[in-house]
Amino acid sequence: MKAIVIDDSRTMRRIISSILKGVGYEVLEAGDGREALDILTENPDTDLCCIDWNMPVMDGLSFVIEVRASREWRNTTLMMVTTESERGQIVKALAAGAHEYLIKPFTPEAILQKLELLGLLPIEENA
Amino acid sequence: MTSGNTTLDGAGAEAGVTVDKEQILSIVQEVLSAMLDAGEVLVFESDPHGESDNDLYAWVDMHMVLPMGDLSARAVVRTEAATANVITQSLLMMDPSEEVSTEDLADAFGEIANVVGGNVKSLIDVPASLSLPSVSAVGSDALSGTFLQDIDLNWRGMPLNVSLWILTDATEWS
Repeated sequence: MKAIVIDDSRTMRRIISSILKGVGYEVLEAGDGREALDILTENPDTDLCCIDWNMPVMDGLSFVIEVRASREWRNTTLMMVTTESERGQIVKALAAGAHEYLIKPFTPEAILQKLELLGLLPIEENA
Repeated sequence: MTSGNTTLDGAGAEAGVTVDKEQILSIVQEVLSAMLDAGEVLVFESDPHGESDNDLYAWVDMHMVLPMGDLSARAVVRTEAATANVITQSLLMMDPSEEVSTEDLADAFGEIANVVGGNVKSLIDVPASLSLPSVSAVGSDALSGTFLQDIDLNWRGMPLNVSLWILTDATEWS
């Protein structure tokens, strides 16, 4: 399975990537929403995007709106991973088309629980 | 500077926005426990420790839109460079003997401030936006505006300080 981790913090990208690789994902990384759109265009088979909210160039919400506007990426699951924890922001992201929402700080277990809920844990992890 | 409940000055007070030391402590414990200490709580309130020449500062700004006008606040995490180094090594799962680059240190320490600040923002029950994190070795870059609240902490035997400020100059918002 393939994922794109989108966060302007290299530290956070590395943490999330490490968790995803640990359960068998091939992981690509982007530092902002615009870069992620370019990667997604080249990788339309991407299963999952983990998206920070506050980023330069293109923020996470704008990225979600762009992705959901294209039928090409309708099978890509979008999960916000962000410090934005206001109810209004969560509603806004879900209304724009995000499937799940995880608030920082998170534990590796919390990410894996979200993947399980989304049916995106690779088979051997689900067993 | 280290009293209990503090109400944000001016417009914030009218909006009933409050942040106390216990809330900051709880946030820092949750952040460090999840991000650095595998679920263990290893950060506690400590005796005050002043600034030193070796300190680094990481901060994020919050901009709130209140009925009576806009209000900007800042959350600052301060620690010694050596502690920021350990934080970076822990976050990046590096060997303690590995050298930490300046870029990695700024990114990792800034991310701690980002997550702490984001969670402080969640305490404020009004729409607010968050800036990208900044990091500096110069205290006056970070400690700006009107002091609101702080707490001195001990994390794994090392000093940390988290402080909140009201930005009095609109140009300080970034």
